[in-house]
Order: sequence, then C-alpha cells, then structure tokens
Amino acid sequence: MSSATDTVTPPPSRLRAAGHPAQRRRRRRRNPTAVVLLLALAVLMLSPFIWTALSVTKPTDVAFANPPVLGGYTPTFQAFKDLWETTYFAQYLVNTAVVAIISTVIALVLGVPAAYALSRFPGYVSAILLLLALVFRSLPRFSVVLPMYEISKSLGIYDTNFALAAALVAINQPFSIWLLRNFFAEIPKELDEAAMIDGCTRFGTLRRIMIPLMRPGILTAGVFVFLFAFQEYLTALVLTDTASKTVPVFITTQLGQTLPMLQQAGAAEMLLTLPVIAISFIAQKYLVAGLSDGSVKG
Amino acid sequence: MRRREFAVLIGPSLLVMLGLLVFPLIRTVQWSFQQVSYGSPGVFVGLSNYTQALSDPRFGRAVFFTLLLTGIVTALILLVGYLVAVGVNGLGRLRPYVLGSMLVAYVLPGVVGAVSFSWLFDSNFGGVLNLVIERLTGQEFLWFTDTWPNRVMIIAHTVWHLLPFSVLMILAGLQGVPKELREAATIDGASAWKMHLYVIIPTMRGIVGFVCLITIMDVLRTFDSLIPLSPQADAIGNESIMFYVFDNAFRDGSQRLGLGSAVNVLSIVIILICLFPFIRDLLKEAKAKA
Repeated sequence: MSSATDTVTPPPSRLRAAGHPAQRRRRRRRNPTAVVLLLALAVLMLSPFIWTALSVTKPTDVAFANPPVLGGYTPTFQAFKDLWETTYFAQYLVNTAVVAIISTVIALVLGVPAAYALSRFPGYVSAILLLLALVFRSLPRFSVVLPMYEISKSLGIYDTNFALAAALVAINQPFSIWLLRNFFAEIPKELDEAAMIDGCTRFGTLRRIMIPLMRPGILTAGVFVFLFAFQEYLTALVLTDTASKTVPVFITTQLGQTLPMLQQAGAAEMLLTLPVIAISFIAQKYLVAGLSDGSVKG
Repeated sequence: MRRREFAVLIGPSLLVMLGLLVFPLIRTVQWSFQQVSYGSPGVFVGLSNYTQALSDPRFGRAVFFTLLLTGIVTALILLVGYLVAVGVNGLGRLRPYVLGSMLVAYVLPGVVGAVSFSWLFDSNFGGVLNLVIERLTGQEFLWFTDTWPNRVMIIAHTVWHLLPFSVLMILAGLQGVPKELREAATIDGASAWKMHLYVIIPTMRGIVGFVCLITIMDVLRTFDSLIPLSPQADAIGNESIMFYVFDNAFRDGSQRLGLGSAVNVLSIVIILICLFPFIRDLLKEAKAKA
C-alpha cells in the first residue's frame, strides 16, 4: 500500500539533486497494486449512491424487486417528476440552502475576530477558552437542542429558518474558532506589529492584513461550517416542523411510506448528492492545501 | 493585544455561545432533577431521574453498545485512514478523483448516506450486497433484525461515513512532514515500515490525536444513522445513548424529559472521561505557556 516508501532512495552521489522538486517527482515510482486497490476503494465508497441512482431510475414495479433487476427495463425519471410535483421538495431544498448559507456567514463574522484574538492574546486565557471550545464541541447535541426547542417555542420562533440557523451557528462556533485560530497562529506576530507601527489600529490590522492573508483558511473553515449546517439532521428534526423543514428530515419522513414515496426519497437523495459530488471534487484540493497550511498543527 | 481589544474581538462570539450553548445546558441540568414536560414548570424530584436511568437495563445496553461502537470504529478509522492517506499521497493524476469520490460519503448528511447504505443490504428493497454475501458464504444473515449482523452493518456504515475525514486530515498532515527528515531516514537505511513507525507517525502525533478525538466524539453521538439502519434498535440491543434520549424525551410527547435530561448529563460525564487525556494535554500546554 505504502507509496511514501517508494518515493526516493537517492544514492549519496546524487544527493545534490534530491532538493530539486521536479527531479524528485520524476523519480517517484508508483505501485500498481496500490493504485488498483485505491481505485477499487473509491468505487466502493461511492457504491451506495450508484445503487440508489439505479433504484430511482427504474420503473416503480421493479425498483425494489428482490433479487434486484439489473437490466431489461427502460430508465425513467418519473420519481424526480413526482418529487417536484407532489411534494414540497423545492421548499425544503430552499430551506436547507438558506439555513446553510446564513449560518456560515454569521459563523465566520463572529468566529474570525474571536479566533484572531485567541491566537494573539498570550497565555492561559486562550488555552482555557480553547479547552471550553473542545468541551462544547463534544457535547451531546440533545443537551442543548431540547432546551432550544422549548426556548424557540416560548419566543415564537419555532419552525423558522432563523431559529435553525442561530442554533447551528452556536453549535458550530467552537469548531470554527478552533480551526481558524490554528490558521491565525501560523501568521507571524511581527506582521501585526509592523502594521500597527505603520498606523493601523488593531481592527484595521485584522481587516487589511490578516483577513486577506487568511483567505484560504477562512475558505476552509467556511466549507466545513457550510457542510455541517447542510448535513445537520438532529437539530433540524427538533427545531422544525413543516414550514422550515430541511431535505434530510424530509427524506426520513418518506421512509416508512409507500414504494413510490420511497423512490421519491431516493430521487431527493440524488438531487442532494450531485451538487455535493461537485463540491467535494472542487473543494478537496483547497481543503488539503488549506489544512496543511497549518490548521491542524495546533 | 490589549485587554479591551481582546474583549471586543471575542465578545460577540462569546455572547452567542453563552446564550445558545451555556444557557440551554444549564436548563438541561435543571431538568435532570425535575419531573417536567415542555412549557410547564417542573417539580423537583432530586436524584430520582438518575436512579431511574441507572437502573434501566435498556440504558445499560445503550451505553454498552455506544462504547463498543466507538472503540471499534475509532481503531479501524485510524488504521485504515492512515493506510489510505499514505496511498492517496502517492497517487499522481488520479489523486483528485480518488479523494473526491471518497469525500462524498463524508459530506452528505449522515441520515441520507445511511438510507442509501441500508438499501444495499435490505432484501425488502432488492439489496445487492446481502445477495453477494449470501452467495459467498452460503449463509443468510438477517442484517436488520439479528444483533451481530446489524452491528457489523452499523460499524461498516460508520467507518464508511467518517473515514474520508481522517484520510483528509492525515493527508494534510503528511504534507507537513519535512522532506529532510525522510531523506535522512532513507540515508540511514530505514525500511519502509520503520520509516512510518519511527519518523512519519511521531511527527504527525498532533494530527493523529486530533483525528482520534473528533472520531470518538462523532461516534459517541451516533443517532441519525440508526433510524434507517436499525429500525428495531432497542429490541436487538443496538440502540445508542442519543437514541435512548430521543425516545424518552422527545418522540412520544415529552413524558420523560427529566429522564432524558439526566441521561444527557450522564453522557456529558462519559464524554468528559473519554476526553480526559486530551484535556490533560491541553492543560499542560497551557501551564507551560503561563
């Protein structure tokens, strides 16, 4: 499996060339067994979606037949059509997107200054706060969400996008701060000092120097927070009813129902999966770069 | 940085967390000592919710199952995650495709992935994996109604769902291992095995610890995936702690909100015990800085 092992074995005489990245890359031998295994793994990881994609494009009468029907049918998009026409799927999709976008923006607006402060304020206070962030990140969700249910009902904001977004901002805030703080810690303090000697205020330094430098870090944190909000099931289940229901909650309510409804749930999954596949193919490059820039070293 | 600047920068975030995390948490602790339902003031009942939870065999089974799942999944994820990350790191042009395909399982909502995953095994829905496994082993497994086959399926799903995160993190960590260190080890004649064991893994200790921590916390919270994967979770002993809370404090009205809250408090204690080594490390670091 390991390919880091077959990277280089430079004989001492050629050591001078070893520092040159291009030459090193050329000499890297790839292990064909490892490549085949990894490709197989990639297909295996995708197999649940491939199977669901097959199930929802079959005519309903053979869609869930046992043993499965693998051919001899005409693919159909009826389930997708029914999903749009007979359910409130479009509404749920909008809810999911709105909640994810709002909570990402607010989480970053609150989290970036806080993380910056934590990375610059020396000593004990920062460490204690980070510890609290860690503990809050690991709380059982119900211990905050059930009281939120009661609070949102008494405030009259139960079943609104706003209540769900606010809950998700709070729940994901500790993780965002932790991630961002590690990015900020990589930026040398001398840069702040230089900016402030040149007349920047502390806030000016954050806005003019730090945030532009932090763009990959903020992007990485933003992607994570967006995904967390977009994925959230439990919080949405408790804090929403009909008006602001999200797609994951909708899918589970379809489960115990009729076969056509089950197929619609599968179609809803596909419509959710396809953009996610696009996002993960685009984002993986930035995530690896962003994360290795130092986010996880703290 | 001056104290005032620090306060202004961190204030808004802290206020949100106080209002929306600390305050609800206090409410949960309060409820755990009460006989209570939503919207009405509770009656103080002392520790009776706790004794009720601790003497409930169903709660004991939920704790056992959750800890079992956490242990197995975390071990698998660290081991497989490291191997896969090293493999992916060695890929060339194929790397973005392999990594992208793997990430899909992580970025989809857990419950959505679990529905798809359950269809692979469910003979009622023409599952294909249960057929393949039946052919290969000549045995029929009841994936949804027998305790251990169901456990295997839940473990497989949880690993499938969380593995991409550890691959991503460890891959990011591998980029940070200094090339000079590897070269030095190679010159000293280290074998591949020793290179990983004594050079690469020790340099990445922080990241491996971080992955371990996040995985433990995520698995302890298992909830969504059991809805499609284990419809009879309670009956076959595959109920998670969070599922137990949900059933008692939310699903059937709010009859036993006090009991659910008591379990929440107990699981916070369990989580803090699991986190103890990490908390100790952080405190040590803090003391060193002070």
